Amino acid sequence: MNDFIVYVVSGLAIGCAFALVGSGFVVVHRVTRVVNFTQGTLAVFAAMISYSLLAKGVPHGLAEVIAVLATGAIGLLFGLIALSRRGTPPLISLMITLGLSIFSAAVIILVWGQDPLSPPGLRGSLSIAGATIETQRLLVAVVAVVVFVGLWLFFDHSYAGKGLTAAASNPRAAGLVGINVRRMGLVSFAIAGVLGGIAGVLISPSNAMSFSSDLPLALSGFAAAVFGGLTSLWKTLIGGLVLGVAGQLVAGYLVGSYQTAIALVMMLVLMIARHRSLAVEEAK
Amino acid sequence: MTKWMRFALIAVLVVVAALLPLFLPDLTFYVQMVLAAVVVTGLALFMGFAGQASLGQGAFVAAGALTVAVTTVELHWPPLLALACAPLVAAGFAFVVGLPLLRLRGHYLAFGTLALLLIVQTLVSTVPFLGGGVGISGIPALGVGELVIPDQIGYAYVALAALAVTLLVSRNLVSSRFGRAVRALAGSESAAESAGVDVVRTKLGIFSIAAAFAGLAGGISAFFIPYVSGESFPAVVSFTYVIMAVIGGLGTLWGGVIGAVLVSLLAQGLTTLSASPGLPTTAGPILQYAAYAAVLILALIFLPRGILPSVSSAIARRRARAPGTLTALAAEQPVEAE
Repeated sequence: MNDFIVYVVSGLAIGCAFALVGSGFVVVHRVTRVVNFTQGTLAVFAAMISYSLLAKGVPHGLAEVIAVLATGAIGLLFGLIALSRRGTPPLISLMITLGLSIFSAAVIILVWGQDPLSPPGLRGSLSIAGATIETQRLLVAVVAVVVFVGLWLFFDHSYAGKGLTAAASNPRAAGLVGINVRRMGLVSFAIAGVLGGIAGVLISPSNAMSFSSDLPLALSGFAAAVFGGLTSLWKTLIGGLVLGVAGQLVAGYLVGSYQTAIALVMMLVLMIARHRSLAVEEAK
Repeated sequence: MTKWMRFALIAVLVVVAALLPLFLPDLTFYVQMVLAAVVVTGLALFMGFAGQASLGQGAFVAAGALTVAVTTVELHWPPLLALACAPLVAAGFAFVVGLPLLRLRGHYLAFGTLALLLIVQTLVSTVPFLGGGVGISGIPALGVGELVIPDQIGYAYVALAALAVTLLVSRNLVSSRFGRAVRALAGSESAAESAGVDVVRTKLGIFSIAAAFAGLAGGISAFFIPYVSGESFPAVVSFTYVIMAVIGGLGTLWGGVIGAVLVSLLAQGLTTLSASPGLPTTAGPILQYAAYAAVLILALIFLPRGILPSVSSAIARRRARAPGTLTALAAEQPVEAE
């Protein structure tokens, strides 16, 4: 029984990290209909930048904030390239962001080398319901909840957030009422950069990151976002938690190496089961 | 281009491709380039006609390679039989997973196929029958009985023969009844459906054929290397196939070959460059990743239809300026595989 609680608690913490990465997919997709493949790359960038800043003696907190703002800027740059041509089909934009993530791998190797790096985080651990959990993982969960509440307030209860959603649901009508659809798309990429950055600085102290960490991060984030149909933030959070807990239970009771595969199989099953509702927006 | 000019061009290409292995000192690059062309020819057909992207084509290369590795090393089948099974197993695998998977579209299918590749990687590196953590080594040389292929040149011609088969099958396929259904899909799925095309079955067909090509290439590479493990099929190689298909031109017969040759030459040139003295050991991956990405992004933004269609329509347009030709109209049509 104690094992079970340990798996569930650590699964919830990992799930929060998935959900944070997934939220970036949701924000960009909601506004632009583009799936931003660089979501994992942005997290890696933030991890690397915070590592370098901390190594140079920048205090905790400040280093992380600078890293997150930097990835916001990188996200904006990615958006400028991915949305550079009007009327690019979303699938082509996906492939452009795939190209951007490959290019970023080159930049990361150039600046930080090929080995995985892990910036220092919070030390120590806490005991919850008999299960011991690292303080850093708890921090991930707390920040994730704060971020999701913030996103919910922004998108559902602020003028700017509603404008962002309007730009997606009907770009022409949004344009007619004076919303700059392209600018909204760029804003969403910048927000996605910040979200990816938050995920990166929080995850990297427990899991070292390298130039090739972007793919597993992006896939687990995408899997979480699929739970919300790439549009619902709350369902993305639930999806992340389900995936995190399921992965930990499988790793704990069955085989450790199947943890990622289980998340991917769940994503496939869910996508196929819901393909009719997902297909509406994709239909030619 | 007239029929004769096209015929002459293809003849020249065939002669150059056949003579080249005799003059190259190391054929690893050549064999891998030709095998990539086999994979990409199938992928370009699938992406062009089904209008969907597969980011995990490596899964089917893996299916073919594993078929060869498992049947020859563990079951002691004759190599030729193993190679014949490789495309069949890959196509069967694609059919079974495609049945549910192809209900997805767009980025869902792109991520779905990528997930499939990662699941295959995990299985290959954990299931002992498929090599487990150590991989399968000791794959025998390709051949019949005592008569085996002794050197690299032999494999270069096997790969070229595979490419020729791939191109012939693709050409006949596109001009068949099935091919017309496939081309109808490319225009509009709902229109094709209302004209009586079974959309799911047609997509599944082209997906399985593309997988068969990938499996054939995988099977030959298993004999060539001769080692297969979970790390033999990294995701970035599957991305490279997509880059080659996009560069060459989707939905064209020769686009896959052109894309594979150009991107392989670029990669090889950069590898040579990064080996020059004074550069750090990380120069290789940095240059490769940067070049792949730059080529993909620039092609998508400036040549979204690929090199082959863009060049052919440019030629057709120039010709059209001469009076009395009807090619002007043709120039505006997207170029189909002929």
